Amino acid sequence: MAYIEFKDICKSYDGQNQILKNIHLDIEEGELVTLLGPSGCGKSTLLRSLAGLEQIDSGRIILDGEDIADVPVKKRGIGMVFQQYSLFQNMNVEDNIAFGLKIAKMDKNQMKEKVQRAIEMVDLIGKEKSYPSELSGGQQQRVAIARAIVMEPKVLLLDEPLSAIDAKLRRELQEKIKRVQKELKITTIFVTHDQDEAMIMSDKIHLMKNGIIEQSGNPVELYTHPVSKFAAEFIGHYNILDNQQLKTLLPKHNFNNHYYAIRPETILLQTEPIQDSNMYVFEAVVNHYISRGNVLRYTLSCHDVIIKSEALFRSFTLFDEGQKVYVGIEPHNILEIRD
Amino acid sequence: MKLKTHLWDGLILFIIAAFLIVPLALTFLYSVFTAWMDILPTGFTLQFYTQIFTDGAFINSLLRSLVISFVPVCICSFAILLVLYVMTLYMPKLEKYVEILCNIPYAIQGVILAVGIISLYSGKPGFLSNRLFLLVGAYCIIILPYTFRGLKNTIGALNVKCVIEAAQVLGCSQLHAFFTIIIPQMKNGIISTMMLAFTMLFADFVVVNMIAGSAFRTAGIYLYQTMSKSGQLSSAIIVILFITTFIISTLTLMIQNKAVVKRGKN
Amino acid sequence: MNTKKNYKFYVLALIPFFIIVLLFEILPLINIVIESFSKRGGGFTIEHFVKIFSTRLYQQSIFNSLWISLFSAIVGIVIAFIAAKAMSNATPKIRSAFTSVLNITSNFAGVPLAFAFMILLGNVGILTLIGKNYGIDFLANFDLYTINGLLLTYIYFQIPLGTLLMLPIFAGLKKEWREAVGLLGGNSFHYWFKVAIPSLLPSILGTFSVLFANALAAYGTAYALLSNNISILPIRISQQFVGEVVQNQEFGCALSLVMMALMVISILITNKLQKKSGGVR
Repeated sequence: MAYIEFKDICKSYDGQNQILKNIHLDIEEGELVTLLGPSGCGKSTLLRSLAGLEQIDSGRIILDGEDIADVPVKKRGIGMVFQQYSLFQNMNVEDNIAFGLKIAKMDKNQMKEKVQRAIEMVDLIGKEKSYPSELSGGQQQRVAIARAIVMEPKVLLLDEPLSAIDAKLRRELQEKIKRVQKELKITTIFVTHDQDEAMIMSDKIHLMKNGIIEQSGNPVELYTHPVSKFAAEFIGHYNILDNQQLKTLLPKHNFNNHYYAIRPETILLQTEPIQDSNMYVFEAVVNHYISRGNVLRYTLSCHDVIIKSEALFRSFTLFDEGQKVYVGIEPHNILEIRD
Repeated sequence: MKLKTHLWDGLILFIIAAFLIVPLALTFLYSVFTAWMDILPTGFTLQFYTQIFTDGAFINSLLRSLVISFVPVCICSFAILLVLYVMTLYMPKLEKYVEILCNIPYAIQGVILAVGIISLYSGKPGFLSNRLFLLVGAYCIIILPYTFRGLKNTIGALNVKCVIEAAQVLGCSQLHAFFTIIIPQMKNGIISTMMLAFTMLFADFVVVNMIAGSAFRTAGIYLYQTMSKSGQLSSAIIVILFITTFIISTLTLMIQNKAVVKRGKN
Repeated sequence: MNTKKNYKFYVLALIPFFIIVLLFEILPLINIVIESFSKRGGGFTIEHFVKIFSTRLYQQSIFNSLWISLFSAIVGIVIAFIAAKAMSNATPKIRSAFTSVLNITSNFAGVPLAFAFMILLGNVGILTLIGKNYGIDFLANFDLYTINGLLLTYIYFQIPLGTLLMLPIFAGLKKEWREAVGLLGGNSFHYWFKVAIPSLLPSILGTFSVLFANALAAYGTAYALLSNNISILPIRISQQFVGEVVQNQEFGCALSLVMMALMVISILITNKLQKKSGGVR
């Protein structure tokens, strides 16, 4: 039996549109899993239903062997960090972190020690007496994390905690969260709409779409083997082609599935004809390219079919716009996907 | 050209400011001189102030004014805070209706409200016809739109829902969180809203004159009754009323600033 | 169970508000309407309204009220506009000094204001005396105890209120607009009459409506200055309830209803105009 089990979870806000449709989800103890998906896919709702902040219409939620449907929010033993800054503005950092412990009437000395340890863990030493209004967004979210973990919750819920923070700081905080999570071995559910973030953070990703779980797996599985058009589009910059388009490119081969996905970096470009017999080959014209750091992105066309290809930036593989190139794809990189 | 417009604007502001200040300043001067028959007044004296302050009737009326202005402000603010609590956390749909109810007083300002209340309750048995009770109720309605708007804007600037959820997850009940986290954060907004409402009521004449009249002599009524007797005495009363209002607003501002400074220092 | 308890609590929390509103807003409002159509002693009638609109005294009070409110609001808004415009150009020091003047004087209304004008321009007022002593006729002959005197006091209390309301509106004017008009070859006439005023118009109308209602409802100043010797609605209404004149509660309610109608109409007109000018924008 898993540590957290969602069973047949259904939820609708207006009685018509279901935001969660029969969700089944198991989460193991100590894992960091991500609920990934576009806004409105139900990922936050699912998370909030575990916290008790949303009522589910039907289904059961089991946490550590206990059905928590009737347990009030304050007794669920859950830690949560929100997308918006949710610190108590009238309290300093220390008091914010101690808030839950005070409610639980913990012994003063023990409390002090715990709070101090949490502050150390999120690198906020020296900011104990600061008020939230004096902290940056990133610091505020670190306090929020400390405030949650100091309670030693059964599970830590992170609801897009980094989406309001700028890119560079975000990287740092992602690593911080991951490190703290591994150190405390705390079961953590992370919600995000950013696939890069999900890739970096997670032990396991659950990709959600319109209230269902589209695909689950570890980051590598998800990246290399998307099962559907949606997963392929959401996870990477996959080329998504239907069988007609693919037949246009490769008339000699047979394609029976409706849709196929090809990762841009698996597409080989050459000025010379490709001799490798293990590859499917065709000719195309470079429409244009952009360089993005160390990666070059080409847009190619072949009989009105547009494909994207990516290669590491090396001077000898530079192609000009309008140039004719030979394209090679290994058959195992042409993935069959669902609609 | 630029300098000229500056001078011009300065002149305009000076003229308007003079028009506004003169009546006020003259009232003050009038209260500290015995006679004013030409450009300059003569006979500096503070006798009118000593006279007022040794007159128990005035002190009492001033205290009445303070109390009758303060009590409705507290009642009204408390009632609205409760409504805002329910509105933000459970029933956002309520806002529409509460908003309408809180805007009606704009159409029944002053005399109309007093008429409505007297015509309904005067002569009714029991506490309903108690003039003080009616006055408190009427005052609550007068300040309702301003109090509601002030407090709503204050609470709207906080992300109440999220903060309360955060507190809940940490083991706190919603109501407890509202009083220990949200209300302290609203402190400045609450104080300034209450202050505005207070000064409005403190200046009231029409409603108290119609509902209570001489049965409950506030400072405003006292002033009206003194006006026909002694000019200087009246102006001294006006000055005192004015200073009272001024002190209350300054004190409130100071409290607010202190809170900001204290927070900044830590 | 938990939600049920919550439900109970929040119904409880709403009670104080709704009791206050019911007892002192809704019921009195309904009562005004009912009594306006009631005969003394019971029964439906419209005689009060017939009397209001056919008696010279009450026609006069409606007309005076409207006239004083309109005129003082218009003068008030023009001065407030000029003041706010001047303030938006002024140095921060002058601006904050003037704001203090506005804040202080905006508390100065009602009976105290009437009294201040009495010592200034009353029969033995300071300026009146100075006028007499030095032969300045318009000061010597100014009669404060007329509708003109009343207008002056009304204009006085409209200015700080109007300017304070107008200030944030002026802050909304963007410097870029003026620059854009300049770049397109317009002068400051174009800027003010084609850009600034039209874009400020909804807010100006809103302020106007506040000033109008403020003057319509004003009572203390008029009562202190002219007692019952001026025919304006608030005075005529209060007369039906306090004072020596024979009291007539139902008639007072009918007068109140007329005044309320004026308030509501002015609010509705402003809303309509605001929407219209908002649409042009």
